[in-house]
Amino acid sequence: MALMRGARPTRDRPSVKATRFDVTANEVFHLQDVTKSWPGEQGFTLTVPQLVIHRGEKIALVGFSGCGKSTLLDLLAMVLRPDQAGRFDFFPQNGEALNVMDAWQHRRLSRLAHTRMLHIGYVLQTGGLFPFLSVRENIGISRRGLGLPVDDAVESIAQRLHIERHLNKLPGQLSVGERQRVAIARGMAHRPSVVIADEPTASLDPINAEEILSLFNKLTDEYDVTLIMATHDWGKLGERGFRRVEFGFKQDPNRGNVHAMILGQATD
Amino acid sequence: MNTFKTVIHLALRDYLHERLLSACAVMGLAAVLAPLLVLFGVKSGIINTLSDRLIQDPRNREISPVGSGRYGADWFSAMRDHPEVAFVIPQTRSIAASMILYNENSANPRTVLVSLIPTAEGDPLLEQYGRIAAEKNEVVLSEPAARKLNLKEGQRVSGQVGRSLRGVKEQVAVSLKIVAVLPLEAFSREAAFVRLELLEATEDYRDGHRAETFGWPGSARPTRPKVYPSFRLYARSIYDVGKLRGMLMDKGLEVYTQAEDIETVKRLDRSFNLIFSLIAVVAVLGYFASMVSNVLANVNRKSRYIGISGLIGFSTGTIIWYPIVQSIATSVLGTVMAVFLYKITEKMINGLFSEYLTAGEYVCRLSLDHMLTGFVLTLGLAILASAYGAFRVSRIEPSEVIREV
Repeated sequence: MALMRGARPTRDRPSVKATRFDVTANEVFHLQDVTKSWPGEQGFTLTVPQLVIHRGEKIALVGFSGCGKSTLLDLLAMVLRPDQAGRFDFFPQNGEALNVMDAWQHRRLSRLAHTRMLHIGYVLQTGGLFPFLSVRENIGISRRGLGLPVDDAVESIAQRLHIERHLNKLPGQLSVGERQRVAIARGMAHRPSVVIADEPTASLDPINAEEILSLFNKLTDEYDVTLIMATHDWGKLGERGFRRVEFGFKQDPNRGNVHAMILGQATD
Repeated sequence: MNTFKTVIHLALRDYLHERLLSACAVMGLAAVLAPLLVLFGVKSGIINTLSDRLIQDPRNREISPVGSGRYGADWFSAMRDHPEVAFVIPQTRSIAASMILYNENSANPRTVLVSLIPTAEGDPLLEQYGRIAAEKNEVVLSEPAARKLNLKEGQRVSGQVGRSLRGVKEQVAVSLKIVAVLPLEAFSREAAFVRLELLEATEDYRDGHRAETFGWPGSARPTRPKVYPSFRLYARSIYDVGKLRGMLMDKGLEVYTQAEDIETVKRLDRSFNLIFSLIAVVAVLGYFASMVSNVLANVNRKSRYIGISGLIGFSTGTIIWYPIVQSIATSVLGTVMAVFLYKITEKMINGLFSEYLTAGEYVCRLSLDHMLTGFVLTLGLAILASAYGAFRVSRIEPSEVIREV
C-alpha cells in the first residue's frame, strides 16, 4: 500500500540516478544541489550535491563538530530554509508528496509545520523537553497537537524505553539518560515517517549511550520508521545496518570561510 | 484547532509551572491597578458627590430679577417650557409678601416678621434641604425664623396679616403647620416658604379685597388676570445658568446670578477631571510598559521552548498565542487581585468616613460597570502589550535556538 502511494512518475528524473536507485518509488527524501550558507567573515556553506533517502533506511551523518550535520538535519526537518535547491522533495509514508523548496519559496509555512508534526520526529542532543509538562504530556505532545488519542500510545512507547515509572514526573526530576529516552519517545510517539536525531547519545556515558542507542534502534525497526541520525562516532553503527553519509570539509585559508559538502552515499 | 488548543495548554501549564514568576507579574499588575481603582473609586465617590452637589446646588442655580417687572401667566408658562428651567414660580409684591408669625404655645409668646416666599412641588431649595409645603396652611421656616419663634418641625404657628382700610386697622389670622425647618446654609434670613395661594391671599387682603380660600373679608377682587412683579427661577444645572441669563437679558430683563461662584465650581470640576485623567494616563502607560517588558523578558527566556514547539510542528500562527495567553492570564488574575484589594480599601475608607455620610452616600465607590470597563481595558492592554511579544515569537528560528543549553 505504502509502495503504491509513494509511487510517482520517474520520467523527469535523470536516467543515471534511476538505475542507481532502482527502488525510486520508495524514496523519503530526494535532495539535489541543495545549498545553505551563512555569509560573513566566519561564513559557512553546506552543499548537498545529492542525497536520496529511502523508506526504512537508517542513515548516519558522520563528521566532526561544525561540519554541517545539524544544518542538514534542520533542512530535512524543514525548520531551515535552503538558499537553493535543484530538488528537495519529501514523500511521507501516508500522505501527499511535498516539494519542500517550493513550499519555502511560497512561504507555505503552516503546510511545512503540519508536515513536520505529522511525519517527522526530532530528537535533540539534550532533551529539549518542556520542563513544565510531565513526562507523559511531553511524550504525547505531538499526538495531542494532531488530535490523536494519547494515553495508550504514550504508555506503550514508555514501556519499550523503560521509562513507564517516570510518566508522571517532570523532566527536571530525571537523569540525563532518562531525559534522552523521553526525548526519543516524544520523537516517535506519533508514529512519524522519519525520525531525525541530532547526536542523541553524545551527552551520555558510554554504557548508557550504548543501551539507549540499542533501544532506539530496536524501536526504529519495530515502528518501521526511517532514521536519520547525526553522530561524530561511527562506532558500531555500521553493524546496526546504518548507511554512512560523510561530510567533506574545506576551509578558505585567507578568509576563514568553511565549505562543507556531502561526500558519498556509500552503503558500506 | 488541536494545535491551537495544545499551544494554549502549553502556555497555561508553563504559566502554572512558573507560579512564582507568574504571581510576581500578577502582583505587579495589581500594584498598579489597585491604587488606580481606589483613585477612581474616590473620584466617583466623594469627588463626584461633591461636585454634583456644587453643580446641583440650588443656591448657585438661582436666577433672580433685579427690580420689579410685570409677568403674566403666559410668561410663566413660556418659561416653564424651557428645557433649561428646573423651577419657576411667581412672586407677589414684596410689600405684601410678609407676615407676622406668633408662637402661642410657649409661656412667653414670641413674634417674628418673616418674608413670605412662594413654593410648590419641584422647588429645588426645599427639595434639597427640607420638605415641600404641600397644603395651603403648611409652612417651611428658615432656621432664623424657627429659632426666634422657638418652634420646631411638626408644631403649629399662627400667622397674622394686618391692613389699614379707610383708616380702620384690621387683622386676620391663619394657623400654619410647620412641615420643615431649613438649615441655616439654605436660607439665612427670617422667611416662611408657603404656597402661592397664601401669598396671593395676603396680597389681596392687604389690597382690601376678600380672600375666599382663607375666608378673609373684603371687597370683590377685580376680574383682570393677575400680574406678578417678580419670580423665583432655578436653572436645571449651573451650566444652564449662563444661557438662561443671556436669554433673559436679551428680553431686556436685568437678572442677578451667582456667576462667579459658578465659574469657580466649573473650573474645579474641570480641574478634577483633568487631574484624574492625567493620573490615569500615567498609570496606564506605566502598566503598559511593565506589561510589555514582562512579555518580552518571558519570550526571550523561553525562546528555546518556543523554538522546540516550532520544531515539533506547531505553526507560527498558533505559537504566537503563547505570550498572548499568558498575558491574558496575568491580566485576569491581576484584575481579580486588584479588585479584591480595592474592595478592602473601599470598605476601610467608607468605614472611616461613615459618620459624615448620609444613607446612600459613599466616599469611595465603583459600580460594577466601572469595574467591568476596567477589566475590559486591562484585557485590551494586555493583548496589545503581548502583540510585540507575539511578533518576536514569530521571528524565532527553531534552528537558532533548539541547541541552546
